[in-house]
Amino acid sequence: MLSAIVWLVIGMGAGLLGALEFSFPDLTKGVAQLSFTRLRPAHVNTVAFGWLSMANVGACLYIIPALCKTKLFSEKLANFSCYLWNIAIGLGFITLANGYTEGREYAEYREPIDILIVIALGSVSYNLFRTLLTRKVKKLYVSVWYIMGAFFWMPIIFIVGNRTFVAMDGLNDGILNWFYGHNILGMWFTVLGVGIAYYMLPKMSGKPIWSHSLSMFGFWTIAFFYAPTGTHHLLQSPVPEWLKALAVIFSAALVIPVISVLVNFYMTMKGSWWMLTTNMPIRFVLTGAFWYLITCIQGPFQATRGINWYIHFTQWVVGHAHAALLGTFTFFVIGALYYGIQRITGKRIYSVRLVKWHYWLLLIGFTLFFLALTIAGLQQSVGWALGYPVAQWSLTLMPMWLVRSIGGTLMFFSSCLFAYNIYMTLREQPISSALEIKVAVPIEGDSN
Amino acid sequence: MSDDNNKQDLKPQGIKGYLLPAVVVAFSFAVIYTVVVAIPNLPSLKSKPSEYAIEYIEKDKDGSIKRDPKTGKPVPNQAGRGRAIYSREGCFYCHSQFVRPQDRDFGSRVHAGDYANETPNVLGTSRTGPDLSNEGGKLPDEWHIAHLKDPRFYTPGSIMPSFSFLSDEELKDLVAYLQTLGRKRFDDPANRHIYEAYFPEADEAFWKASEHHKPNVDSAAAANAGAGIYRQNCAVCHGLNGLGNGPNALAMAKKPANFSDPKYKKYSNETWYWRVAEGVPGTRMPRWKLKLEPQQMWYLVAFLKTLPQDEKPIIEPYQSIDSAAWQSQSALPAGIVSNYEKLSAGAAKSSTGGSANAH
Repeated sequence: MLSAIVWLVIGMGAGLLGALEFSFPDLTKGVAQLSFTRLRPAHVNTVAFGWLSMANVGACLYIIPALCKTKLFSEKLANFSCYLWNIAIGLGFITLANGYTEGREYAEYREPIDILIVIALGSVSYNLFRTLLTRKVKKLYVSVWYIMGAFFWMPIIFIVGNRTFVAMDGLNDGILNWFYGHNILGMWFTVLGVGIAYYMLPKMSGKPIWSHSLSMFGFWTIAFFYAPTGTHHLLQSPVPEWLKALAVIFSAALVIPVISVLVNFYMTMKGSWWMLTTNMPIRFVLTGAFWYLITCIQGPFQATRGINWYIHFTQWVVGHAHAALLGTFTFFVIGALYYGIQRITGKRIYSVRLVKWHYWLLLIGFTLFFLALTIAGLQQSVGWALGYPVAQWSLTLMPMWLVRSIGGTLMFFSSCLFAYNIYMTLREQPISSALEIKVAVPIEGDSN
Repeated sequence: MSDDNNKQDLKPQGIKGYLLPAVVVAFSFAVIYTVVVAIPNLPSLKSKPSEYAIEYIEKDKDGSIKRDPKTGKPVPNQAGRGRAIYSREGCFYCHSQFVRPQDRDFGSRVHAGDYANETPNVLGTSRTGPDLSNEGGKLPDEWHIAHLKDPRFYTPGSIMPSFSFLSDEELKDLVAYLQTLGRKRFDDPANRHIYEAYFPEADEAFWKASEHHKPNVDSAAAANAGAGIYRQNCAVCHGLNGLGNGPNALAMAKKPANFSDPKYKKYSNETWYWRVAEGVPGTRMPRWKLKLEPQQMWYLVAFLKTLPQDEKPIIEPYQSIDSAAWQSQSALPAGIVSNYEKLSAGAAKSSTGGSANAH
């Protein structure tokens, strides 16, 4: 989980450089490893698998034993997975920068790295399922459902989605690519992120979840609706119509689990909204819930044919993807990280002021970034819809690329602060033994 | 379920506790089976190459697939190697390869079978640059290579990264691949009307006609004819002597090119011609092929070729629109070596020998 932060900084650095190249295309001219097209897969994979997956897995390795009131099945196996995962991401970053790619979006890692990741992922899944079998509570809390669902689906999706294991020709390859590309978002990041948030909110606010049955309803609807939605990335391509119709209907139906999850979050927080001002982890989680509202209301609408007709192929979609992975799930897991780091190590966070700086820089940076991409996307849609040649309007996007780079810079620096803060926290003396600690030490401070 | 959650052993739950997980397992497998096994194997969806599908594999004369003697794998042809580079360098992150029903200016529609020979797919999900489905044949190879090395020199305002780090061999392969895109769709007479509707003049016939009307562009006579066309059409922006200082230039955000710059020595005849014919997107430079005949443009090329200087560009203040001043400026500034005048002088001498256009 800690190594995830290092990957966050590296991955974001790569993303930032890529964003700058939109403003200054000749920035790294002549250096193959730093050209935009090499940075992009390195950025996407490092942030998705290095940062977000690893941080989520770290949080789950804490949450599942806690919710099952038992110990992790094997600490050794978990450490092994962690090392393996780190090796895979490190190798992946280097190989992608040097052009060894599978050439499929989100699945760029080459064969040996895919195999390493599958082993790491499989061992984590095995570890958690064994933990679940030795649990001391009968009824499964909703987070357990979500997290175990993710660990059940993800190895399968990963194996299906990578050309290492399943290879196809032509359009089928595209369909499979987006089955994979959308389901690692839906059946891995979303399910993990929501599961973590379902754990964090009641735990920190000290209140039970508003409706357990509603949360289970959300889980089962997401499990039912998510799988076939990927084809909405190919709505105007020559993919069979019935597959497109399926994707559109199921994408639109995803609004049901989204609303049920959000209603549950907000109702749980009813009467505790003041915690937002003093408790930093809860502030992160609730900001994530806010972005979840935005991105997941966008999503079902974007997938309908009428809007997809207009929005597809533009930077709007890039903004949407970042709102999900960065705005929502990164905020969730950062909240979990600030909360967990104190619980696990028994140390007080090094500096609450830095946490606040981290929060505000990340939020402002991301808001700028999101708005810039959304506006750029709308400008591009006009260009495509009216059929103007790209070169006639591409220059009008320049201010947007610049704003995006500024937002990206803010987020990059906030992540550096985050990494520094966690590093200094780990160097501090524990205030008490980790095992003895009963009550969480909330990160409290003045409201601002 | 019971409220006493703590200290329950797993065993007394019996089969009931596993019912829901079993449903998840069954459902997930059903979905995965549908996507992985059923869909690709449905007869209606099986990847059958359409008549427009591009071959990426080297074949012998008898049509059999050539195989690598060591590995036994099929050997890719030049377009196949180029495709691998396209995929490796991530061109598909910014260039899509399917024409949507609503797209204009990208040529004819694509069909499912067109992609049958391709893996991994390069359909793309984002268009930061234009769609490339029908890119083949629109521009000469050398333009593509030069553009890949230095995109902003050929398309000002483009944000495409430079691919100057690719070797010459790789660039050639990549361009060979780009030139195959959509060529079969283009050659199909059934699709012809689509091209003609969208590109009334930018089709291959146009380029062929251009070749047909090509005069000897190194001749003084052609340059002479070009000088007249230049004064009528180009001088108002580019200046009388091609220094980019015509009166219109004063008010332009993007200044016209100064042809005395030595970098224009690198332009080949075809590149000059293409630039004149297609104009410069995003600037006031028009697509002259809409107004001039191919032969006139070739004459223009013959004149333009004489303008670049050997060392550094000449910078002159903007010319006035005042007619008296305009006339006084029509002579070359002192100290400028004019290739055009040298060429004309040479032609004058040789014409006394009897052959004006001999070269």
